[in-house]
Amino acid sequence: MRPLKASIAAPTRGQRLRYRLKVALREPTTTIGILAAALFAYLIVVPIISMLSDAMRVQFGDERRIKQDVGELTWYYIDRVFLSRISHDLFWEPLINTLSVAAGAITLSMLVGGTLAWLLSRTDMFGRRWFATALIVPYMLPAWTFALAWTTLFKNRTVGGQPGWLESLGFSPPDWLSYGQLPVTIILALHYSPFVILLFGNALRRFDSQLEDSARILGASRLTVASKIIMPLMRPSLMSAMVLIFAKCLGEFGVPYVLGLPVNFDVLATSLYQNISSRQVGVGAVLAGAIMLIGIVTITIDARLMREARRFVTIGSKGSMNRLSPLGILRMPATGFAALMFVLSVGLPIGTLFLSTIMRVPGQFNLGNFTLDYWIGTNLNTVALQTGILLSPDLWNAAWNSLRIVGVASITSGILGLLVGYVVARTPVRPLGTFLRQVTFLPYLVPGIAFAAAYLSLFAVPRGPIPALYGTTLILMLALIADQMPYASRAGIAAMTQLGKEPEEAAQIAGAGWFRRMISIVIPIQKGSLTTGILLPFISGIKGLSLFVVLAVPSTDVLTTYSLRLVDYHYTQAANAVVLIIAGLAYFGALLGQKLTKTNLAQGLGN
Amino acid sequence: MPKINLNGVEKNYGGNSANAVADLDLEIGDGEFMCLLGPSGCGKTTTLRMIAGLEHLTAGEIRVGPRVVDSVVEGVFVPPERREMGLVFQSYALWPHLTIERNTDFGLRLRKMPKAEREQRVDKVMKTLGIEKYRDRYPSQLSGGQQQRVALARMLAVNPEVLLLDEPLSNLDAALRLEMRAELKRLHAEFKTTIVFVTHDQWEAMTLATTIAVMSEGQLQQVGTPNDIYDRPANRFVAQFVGNPPINIIELGEARSELSRLANAYLGSRFAELRDAGSIGIRPEALRLADAERGVAEGALSGQAEVTGILPTGGSWIIELTASGEKLFMTTHQSPEIEVGEAVTWWAKPKALHVFDKAGQRLEAADRLMRPTKLH
Repeated sequence: MRPLKASIAAPTRGQRLRYRLKVALREPTTTIGILAAALFAYLIVVPIISMLSDAMRVQFGDERRIKQDVGELTWYYIDRVFLSRISHDLFWEPLINTLSVAAGAITLSMLVGGTLAWLLSRTDMFGRRWFATALIVPYMLPAWTFALAWTTLFKNRTVGGQPGWLESLGFSPPDWLSYGQLPVTIILALHYSPFVILLFGNALRRFDSQLEDSARILGASRLTVASKIIMPLMRPSLMSAMVLIFAKCLGEFGVPYVLGLPVNFDVLATSLYQNISSRQVGVGAVLAGAIMLIGIVTITIDARLMREARRFVTIGSKGSMNRLSPLGILRMPATGFAALMFVLSVGLPIGTLFLSTIMRVPGQFNLGNFTLDYWIGTNLNTVALQTGILLSPDLWNAAWNSLRIVGVASITSGILGLLVGYVVARTPVRPLGTFLRQVTFLPYLVPGIAFAAAYLSLFAVPRGPIPALYGTTLILMLALIADQMPYASRAGIAAMTQLGKEPEEAAQIAGAGWFRRMISIVIPIQKGSLTTGILLPFISGIKGLSLFVVLAVPSTDVLTTYSLRLVDYHYTQAANAVVLIIAGLAYFGALLGQKLTKTNLAQGLGN
Repeated sequence: MPKINLNGVEKNYGGNSANAVADLDLEIGDGEFMCLLGPSGCGKTTTLRMIAGLEHLTAGEIRVGPRVVDSVVEGVFVPPERREMGLVFQSYALWPHLTIERNTDFGLRLRKMPKAEREQRVDKVMKTLGIEKYRDRYPSQLSGGQQQRVALARMLAVNPEVLLLDEPLSNLDAALRLEMRAELKRLHAEFKTTIVFVTHDQWEAMTLATTIAVMSEGQLQQVGTPNDIYDRPANRFVAQFVGNPPINIIELGEARSELSRLANAYLGSRFAELRDAGSIGIRPEALRLADAERGVAEGALSGQAEVTGILPTGGSWIIELTASGEKLFMTTHQSPEIEVGEAVTWWAKPKALHVFDKAGQRLEAADRLMRPTKLH
């Protein structure tokens, strides 16, 4: 058969456009994409812009001090934060504190986590499998669990309320041990060393031992191999862990709040919180913008590093089989070290907190001192909270709020994430996919507390048809959804890309329309990743604090803010009990997720 | 009546990229087994996906029977789910969460076919393809060949008028591939479906197709029967792509080449009117060696060479000849009674020569002179 030589007219520009529009709009994919893009623009971009504009405009109540009308452009807040007499207290000292705490935490967690990672993945230490999970547990607990445990142990007379254990045993711990930089640094290091264990450990495990062998065969000593081959190849993963820890420290609120406040040790996050709670909207906006900027710079550096790391990805071959160095005589001490780290980072804090909730007088271990009153007692002789915590309606209210808000937000963001993944993978309108990918990633660059400040700026007052949302559970849900989108959409995009379009195309060829394909093919296949995409944000949301602390009011208290309020009122036992409940929820949630999805969730907890 | 018509079809993936498919005119007859053949990246899969409706066009139109299913100018686009075609993917794309039976009856359920009729149809298709004993298993529990059959069964169940196959055999091992080829040919005869088959494997195309369309860099090179494609390649690309070992090409007009001078002299003395000739192609099996009993045939192109390699391939031999630094390959089915290092005389009859012009297109004038008996 010969090719046909029927001449066909070349389409005009208008015809091409009409045809492409028809193809693009035939399926709801593009429509959904456009709606999602609009939604995220409103939930993510607009709050940030609104906050940044707050930093440049005269706020209500400041007009007489600034001598300009409300809403006019001004440098006042920027000047106040960076250059004025109080800029030292507002910004520079908190910045220096943040940086030094972060530097300390990074150094410590590198030392501890790096050693543990090596022991876990490259040596014949005892109980490696068990430790591999156990040593990740600190990251599943909220960071300020440790802070509360620390106060329970080391609290001194600087602050009122019940004394710490050491104090009641007759020792008087100095302020530098009880509060401020030292404990904050140690706690953050313990909390984030799982990062190093995971990132560095994975890199070590994936390391192709043929590379090592080649060097050995050419005559290199073990030391040369370590310094010339292994370390250079491991550098990107170490750097990446460092950068991530720094980014996390930047937004960390709970620990410095609990341990820094008594000695006026401010970091950027707590300085921002104090300005927001004293209604310094403009200054708060400048501080939030500064935190955001540092966050963006940090994550950009991380992205660079990851790109560099990809340059020499060592593809795992049979050579990447795990080869273990025998520890010999050091086998026991090494195991002891791992066990000690587990006790320090999990056993001690949890044990301390639990004991504190069943003891009347702190630190006295005689039988008569033990009580279950703080859990289930009634008619207690206190001002508020006259029942044990489990009998208090406030707890159940907060627990219900936590479950409802975090649950709704997680389910919504999980589904939105899958939809974003779907649109990104499928839409013929490429710029739409790119926009969605980038806009949903944006909150990742913004520490939670700065993001909360942005939400406050946008939704504190009615705007257009949208009423003031401050004080409602809706604002918490919206902020949480937006905050979780980076993880949700990344999971969705990864899952959809991995699936490829062929199974869906096959259904299309078989005659299935869009909705049928979603219901019969796409969602059933993605069931697992959807579960993960809901569960992971749920766990991190349950233990999350920095977002809620700015946006929650007593009536919308969640467990985390409720326990913080109890800390503020010095109901130590009750606060500790609530934190234990949160830790339990987060931990067993993670276990459940692991069971359900048959994956190692610990790896994904980098969220 | 042609089943599928592609008119001036063009596909560009945007940006500054070259056209994936350029100005493609192709007619696929009813009941035909058409192979789209070409190297990877030649646009054959894109063409198939455009026929299915999984890719949209940049220009042109596609008709199935009398119905326009895709036209940029008219603004028509019939979505894949309403084109009533079948498509088997290279990766099979079985639905991992459905059993083999549910994979197979998916299309029938969509068409709301009554249960009894549906089961009957599924049974028949499964039996035809020999997968009825796996009906309750999941795709991941089957081997590649079995999955391949399920992918076919899934599409055959709805009895499509057009069946599109995208390199469906490339993931199978050699023995299984042979078996499936025979199976496909049998199915084609049995179901009388129009089949469009994409492959980069020339043997697959040769053995299966009633018509082959050779593509390269988005351009259609030649459409014809397997014999046409092999015996009368329309240009040098087709000649070189089809055939293994590849065709020997002698460039004309290269002053430094011994072979070139030889061929030039040959054409000049016998076919002086072929002034546009740019190169000559000789299939390896058309080359002969002169021996004691039979010399060089009358009117043949011939020359001297040294035997530089003898490669037995089981039942036949590939012989590598070197003539002043240039290589010629020949194949023979008789045990060669020569040794490496021996000097030989090679020759080829005029009707075995493929003459191409300077642009690489087949010189029809040469065929009229050299193959006077053969009709075209």
